[in-house]
Amino acid sequence: MKKILTLTTVLTTAMFAQLNVATTYNYLGEVTKRVGGDLVKVDVLASPKLDPHFITPKPSLISKLRREDLLIINGAQLEIGWIPPLLRSANNSKIQNGGSGFLDVSGAVTLIDIPVNVSRSMGDVHPDGNPHFALNIDNIIPIAELISMKLSQLDPSNQATYNKNFEQFKTKMEELSSKLKKEYASCEGKKVVQYHELFNYAMDFYGIQKVGNIEPLPGISPSSKHTLELINTMNEQKIKTILQDVYHEKKTANFIASKTGAEVKVVPHDVGAVDGTDTLEDFYTTIGKELCQ
Amino acid sequence: MQKKLLLCTLLSTYLLQATELEQRVEKLEKALQAQKKSKLQEALNGGNSFNQKSFIPDISLILDGSAVSRNISNDDYEGYGIDGFLEEADEIPFHKNRGFNFNYAELGMHSEVGPYFTSDAIFHLHPEGFEIEEAYLTTKKLPANLDMKMGKFRSGFGRINAIHQHAQHFSEQPLVYEAMLGVEGLNDAGVALHWVAPTDTYFMAGVEAMQGTNELSFGKSSENNLYVGYLKSGFDLDDSTSVLTGASVATGKTEENQDSKLYGGELTLKHTIDSYSNLTWQSEYLYRDRDDEKQGGYYTQLLYKKDSNWEFGTRYEALNKNAKNQPDDLKKYSAIVSYSPFEFSKIRLQATKDKSKSFGGVRETENQVLLEFLVETGAHGAHAF
Repeated sequence: MKKILTLTTVLTTAMFAQLNVATTYNYLGEVTKRVGGDLVKVDVLASPKLDPHFITPKPSLISKLRREDLLIINGAQLEIGWIPPLLRSANNSKIQNGGSGFLDVSGAVTLIDIPVNVSRSMGDVHPDGNPHFALNIDNIIPIAELISMKLSQLDPSNQATYNKNFEQFKTKMEELSSKLKKEYASCEGKKVVQYHELFNYAMDFYGIQKVGNIEPLPGISPSSKHTLELINTMNEQKIKTILQDVYHEKKTANFIASKTGAEVKVVPHDVGAVDGTDTLEDFYTTIGKELCQ
Repeated sequence: MQKKLLLCTLLSTYLLQATELEQRVEKLEKALQAQKKSKLQEALNGGNSFNQKSFIPDISLILDGSAVSRNISNDDYEGYGIDGFLEEADEIPFHKNRGFNFNYAELGMHSEVGPYFTSDAIFHLHPEGFEIEEAYLTTKKLPANLDMKMGKFRSGFGRINAIHQHAQHFSEQPLVYEAMLGVEGLNDAGVALHWVAPTDTYFMAGVEAMQGTNELSFGKSSENNLYVGYLKSGFDLDDSTSVLTGASVATGKTEENQDSKLYGGELTLKHTIDSYSNLTWQSEYLYRDRDDEKQGGYYTQLLYKKDSNWEFGTRYEALNKNAKNQPDDLKKYSAIVSYSPFEFSKIRLQATKDKSKSFGGVRETENQVLLEFLVETGAHGAHAF
């Protein structure tokens, strides 16, 4: 009797063994939790308060990657400056690029801003296209589908659950997407400037026009010449909105605002980047509010 | 009658739509045909049968040069010594001359070798010659969090030995490394095995078997003689502060077939201020027991990265334990200011006061101001912590 009991306990533990999943960014962690539910244990590697391009490859992240069954990355070269050395140090063959436990979600969406010619003289360009696609709510649905497919591949016995969770998630996001589009329909054609090519996908969703960036080139700090040009353009075209992320300096944006009468809006780039954006729903609602109100 | 008219109108609309659809299908078919034709035409004229462009390794080129001003003449500087450690430097790879130096061009290649290995090669091209700095294979598929490295590579001994010159924060190798292992450090042919322990805290153990051709500590050339082992651990103190610490040992034979043992202890603390700014305190102590001579030294350095452009740093170094009848007050002070106009380029100003060197057998304080430029081009992999 005792033996049977032990056996059952062992079996049930094995059956309920969670998949260990690491995601590079918070939004991927949230999607994975929604699709995986109790069947996955999620570690998020990068803090949403920091620039997603520049994350310190801390030793504590190596010990996380060591034990994961699956690593989910944004891709499109957003992690190229910090994930490769961590992967090299973690010695986990499962999650190496090309292994069964490695998933790059950029393949699920259509990238924009793909440069025709690539040269570092254009600054920190991403040769595959703009990697900040998660800011368009319509992109989160194929990403979630891809994640549910990968979870099903690694854990086929729970495929039905992953599918069901994904369908629920999809319905919710589709509802929110049409609600936001309707609510902020008047925002179409609005002109804004931003710090970095960060919010392009969100602007595409609302039909907002991007006029310029505070950075002269991607990854290059603002220069006074470029800032003055931007102020002139903004005054000429009567642009009243500057989109600022949480991690760059805000001095330049505030200076430009004081010379143009524009308003500086701090827009989250990831789930949890600003207060009150801890769920995907709040995240996309906040983006809409900051961009359009 | 009216019904008939309505039916007629409907029918004609349908017919119109149908013709329109037909036309569109025809157009599409034509386009497809044209595509097929042009594909055939391309195939007819031959093309890319043996194109291997997608298999070109990641190639990077690093250039390093410097302008130097110092109070020692070039003739005296060549062949400097460190009392008790180094009789006469036989090679000065970096910043050798007063005036202008082109130090090296570093050519790096990284590639996947099938599903089981990756390969790396780093070549140093000096004005005086060509050097294979590193060339090794690394395994990708070993189980149990193991990996293996084979070839010629910089040993994982200590904190700084495996880090290339261009990735270090000061223009010169720490004094204690220079004194005990030479400016090039511990770099040999051999094999290494690394294991990441299954613990929540990062814990890594590594062992290496190497040829042992280092002239200062392990140079017995008749056989492979060098064995290295190290343990490293790291953890977070809070969300923005991380620690990396480690202990290393290397044991082998000298050129004169004497026992030689080298011990190292290291501690790095890094505090992230924001995405572009951090504070790093790094220290290392090395202790050598060679031929019953016991010697030791250390460096401690503080670096402040102000933003994506500016970095400031200071380093204090000492060789505080020396062989009998040799000085134990060998010290060096350095400070740097470095400016990166862009991620892949750096201009660094370094000032040093070095009280450790002898020139022509006479100890003399060396004062030096050095301006170094460094650029990275091509596909160079990201650096570790």
